[in-house]
Amino acid sequence: MTTVVSHRPPAVARRGLASRVLGRQPEGILLSLPYAVFIVALYAYPLGLAVWMSFHKYIFTAPGVSVPRPWVGLDNYENVLGDPALRQAFVNIGIFLIINVPLTVALSLLLATALNAAIPFRTFFRTSYFVPYVTASVAVVGVWLFLFYSDGLINKVLGPLAPDPSWLINERLAMPSIAVYVTWKQLGFFILLYLAALQNVSKELYEAAAVDGASRWRSFWAVTVPGVRPATTLVLLLAIITGANLFTEPYLLTNGGGPNGRSATPVLLMYQRGIEQGHPDVAAAIGVLLVIGVLIIAGVQRFVERGRD
Amino acid sequence: MADTLPATTPTDRVPIGVTQARPPRRARLWWRIVVLAIGAVAFLFPFYYMIIGSLQERTDTSLKGALPLPGNLGLHNYSQINAAINLGQTLLNSIIFTAGVVLGTVVFGILAGYALAQLQFRGRGLLFAAMLLIQVVPFQLLMIPLYVQIVRAYGLADSYLGMILPYLINSVAVFVFRQYFLQLPPDLFNSARIDGASELRILWSVALPLVRPAVLTATLLTFIGPWNEFLWPFLVTKDHAKQPLAVALANYISTVAATATNPYGAILAGACVLAAPAIALFIAFQRHFVSTDLSSGVKG
Amino acid sequence: MRSRTLIVAVAALTLGATAACGDSGGGSSNSDAAQARGPINIWYSNNAQEVAWGKQAVAAWNAAHPDEKVTGQEIPAGKTSEAVISAAITAGNEPCLIYNTAPAAVPNFQAQGGLVPLDDFSDAKDYIQQRSGSTADQYKSPDGKFYQMPWKSNPVMLFYNKKAFTKAGIPTDNPPLGSYADFLATAQKVVSAKGAKYAIYPAPSSEFFQSWFDFYPMYAAAGDGKPLVADKKATFDNDTGYAVANFWKQLYDAKLAGKETYNGDSFADGLAAMASVGPWAVAAYKGKVDWGVVPVPTPNGGSSPTTPTFSDAKNVAMYASCKSRGTAWDFLKFSTSKEQDGKLLELTGQMPLRQNLEQEYTSYFTKNPQYKTFAAAAAHVVEVPNVPNSVEVWQTFRDAWSNSVIFGKQDPKTALSGAASKINDLVK
Repeated sequence: MTTVVSHRPPAVARRGLASRVLGRQPEGILLSLPYAVFIVALYAYPLGLAVWMSFHKYIFTAPGVSVPRPWVGLDNYENVLGDPALRQAFVNIGIFLIINVPLTVALSLLLATALNAAIPFRTFFRTSYFVPYVTASVAVVGVWLFLFYSDGLINKVLGPLAPDPSWLINERLAMPSIAVYVTWKQLGFFILLYLAALQNVSKELYEAAAVDGASRWRSFWAVTVPGVRPATTLVLLLAIITGANLFTEPYLLTNGGGPNGRSATPVLLMYQRGIEQGHPDVAAAIGVLLVIGVLIIAGVQRFVERGRD
Repeated sequence: MADTLPATTPTDRVPIGVTQARPPRRARLWWRIVVLAIGAVAFLFPFYYMIIGSLQERTDTSLKGALPLPGNLGLHNYSQINAAINLGQTLLNSIIFTAGVVLGTVVFGILAGYALAQLQFRGRGLLFAAMLLIQVVPFQLLMIPLYVQIVRAYGLADSYLGMILPYLINSVAVFVFRQYFLQLPPDLFNSARIDGASELRILWSVALPLVRPAVLTATLLTFIGPWNEFLWPFLVTKDHAKQPLAVALANYISTVAATATNPYGAILAGACVLAAPAIALFIAFQRHFVSTDLSSGVKG
Repeated sequence: MRSRTLIVAVAALTLGATAACGDSGGGSSNSDAAQARGPINIWYSNNAQEVAWGKQAVAAWNAAHPDEKVTGQEIPAGKTSEAVISAAITAGNEPCLIYNTAPAAVPNFQAQGGLVPLDDFSDAKDYIQQRSGSTADQYKSPDGKFYQMPWKSNPVMLFYNKKAFTKAGIPTDNPPLGSYADFLATAQKVVSAKGAKYAIYPAPSSEFFQSWFDFYPMYAAAGDGKPLVADKKATFDNDTGYAVANFWKQLYDAKLAGKETYNGDSFADGLAAMASVGPWAVAAYKGKVDWGVVPVPTPNGGSSPTTPTFSDAKNVAMYASCKSRGTAWDFLKFSTSKEQDGKLLELTGQMPLRQNLEQEYTSYFTKNPQYKTFAAAAAHVVEVPNVPNSVEVWQTFRDAWSNSVIFGKQDPKTALSGAASKINDLVK
């Protein structure tokens, strides 16, 4: 690893006006410029329009057709918040997150740690955990439906313990079943994230722990968990975001709202209202509320994390 | 993990709390393998069932059908789905679409991730917030305005660029890059900066080699998104010659009830074809998750 | 971080506001466009038989009109075609004609300004009335104009599996399926004799269109052809509606109909002994099921092939971005001519929405007598009501249906009444 040797005085002493205005490493602006331009060129308009729509009465129209788009203030939001189906959908997502997120974080870290060791058949094991993530939901869902059908494999195995009504048509079990399915399906992604993070936890730390006589479990808690803290933040946030935006799996597994609307999700309802029924203004209100909800959860999570430091 | 610890602990320093009678290491290893194997079976069984299903001549939804019965196996479903959708052309389209996204994300995403993690510059917080916001907002909300923009404002209907553009720089990947760059100690960079290296140089020579597993991970994960993506390419391309495999497969599913002898098997055949390259890529890449020793970087 | 997010949101909002405000543009006058000629684009469904029909129609036209070429393309039928068409309308790149326009989506597309009223063409009204007769009237929009051309229908009838019936000792010539009581008895018999696991298995999911295959055909039959909404009021909040709901509730309660999503065709796979579906399924069942067909049951029996049923129609609409509307209208007439309708019948088995089908195509029906029942029913089909917010209307209905009839969480009467009052608000 070579570094450029020069005779310039240390950069710190030459912090001039430019540096104060643009930050200590203004090259950062250049490096992140393509990404910034991408965001502005592509997402600023749709995002802005979405927020704007939520405060107006809005439908998409053909070019050249103008319809009145009056400001309606918080009407769309009242509509959303007063709709029992939507309230139920937000509750469903809450149930989903409570089951999915802790399970995901715990399982993926444990499995990644296990898969990081030099065990025989490592490639096979790593691949097998990754496979569900890679396969298109459309195909995997069919298999899952077959397994959890009222006289499918799982119920046959469970015999008298099988729930009645069966899993996906059971009000209380529909969303948890979906949560387990999604956890299973996404686990490969998070295991990979942790695997990569584990590569950067220094071997010396484990050696030091062993010298102090720590058991495997203890060194896991004392070395591994703190060592992958940024990855844990990542996994938590991504799991929360993916969970909140759940659409495909409930759509495919329960084709819509499920028993008594117990597996409907906000994004599903957004799709129904916005695209099928032609009310993008209501859909936008749902979207904005969802975003606020996720940001609050993320904020709480960060707050707790910072408190722990 | 026990394998990375030294073989013996000094016998005169056994502290309180350490179990005296530990089972021999090989037995512990076998336990771990058993647990992993059970998990692997749970994870693989649906995929195994997919493969069996795709090879079945007639649908067999009974328990018996889960076993590979030689009488019922054949490649018929594969030829049928190849006749309905041109597997070769659609695979090629998938590759072009995905390659474009991976390229854009790796090149521009790494730059942005590094900048967000290790550099101080005006607008950093704003960019970070924007990156989060994009991930949080569900695609269904942005779908139609985005479509209007790409098709009307940029005139990119029925083109590869139109397919690639919204995914060009995957914000999740940028987030991932940022987190991994965050794991590196800032001293590493300060010493290089004091030596007068430019940020780009530091990124290339110092940071990147240390996060190679992360970069590979993020690349692999960026691959999956566009590879399996159905809705957007479907909206943007009406020309069949340009549609990727995921779209063709979804189209096929919506009409398959009418014609195939074993519709479910044909769907599974298509799904297996869709999944195979991704799995192959993973097997190839995961060998490269080699641990780099961080301490040497700081001292050297 | 939170304040930054706020700034980003405000910035996005301002940008979006300016973008939204700049959403204007001119359109050409209607009469000019109605005469214009030139090459056009059309879309048809990606159902294999319809593709075959589409390709030959386009080829025949192009041979005769080399400077007004038609280019045809597939889009999928089903869940995503609304999204595709709606997005295309907004972007202004939809084709001139779409041979897959669902009548339920027409009010939405019309509200978007995406459809051309066919009344712009001087001979349109007469042409449509002559071809489709009185059935055409239910396709008019509230303003009295035709924003869609009635094209083809798939009258929903009751298919039954002859082998399953034989196993249960039920006669397959004239099975007792005319009245609700008979139907329930037959259903019970065939399931107890293990002819099939379920008697009938319509999709229990809650997409807005699913009620078109369980509730609506029987409501049409029992209510003598009344649509769901008439004169800006829901019509099902009465004894007829309750009778149909109770009938289905009994089927679900007795486990004669399945409540879970099934990932295939339950009738073709032998899981269900009956199915309520239209003639497009004949091609799908060939070689898999030995089927017979009867009209859907009515509360007291006495149904004949001319009993009303749901049409499951797909129509053709002309879209606003069309420049060469003269060509489009002529092609539309060409593709719904007697010859092309005959080809449609031959290639797909679906019923063109044309008067006196059996008389017009005697040779076809002699060769394919199993389609005669559908032809007779085609003259008496009921369409989804052409009302504003029609998709939302059906979604509201389906949610109430799903809750009460399928999952038994609510009393059907209460659920239907609730749905009716919500729907009355929607169609005002």
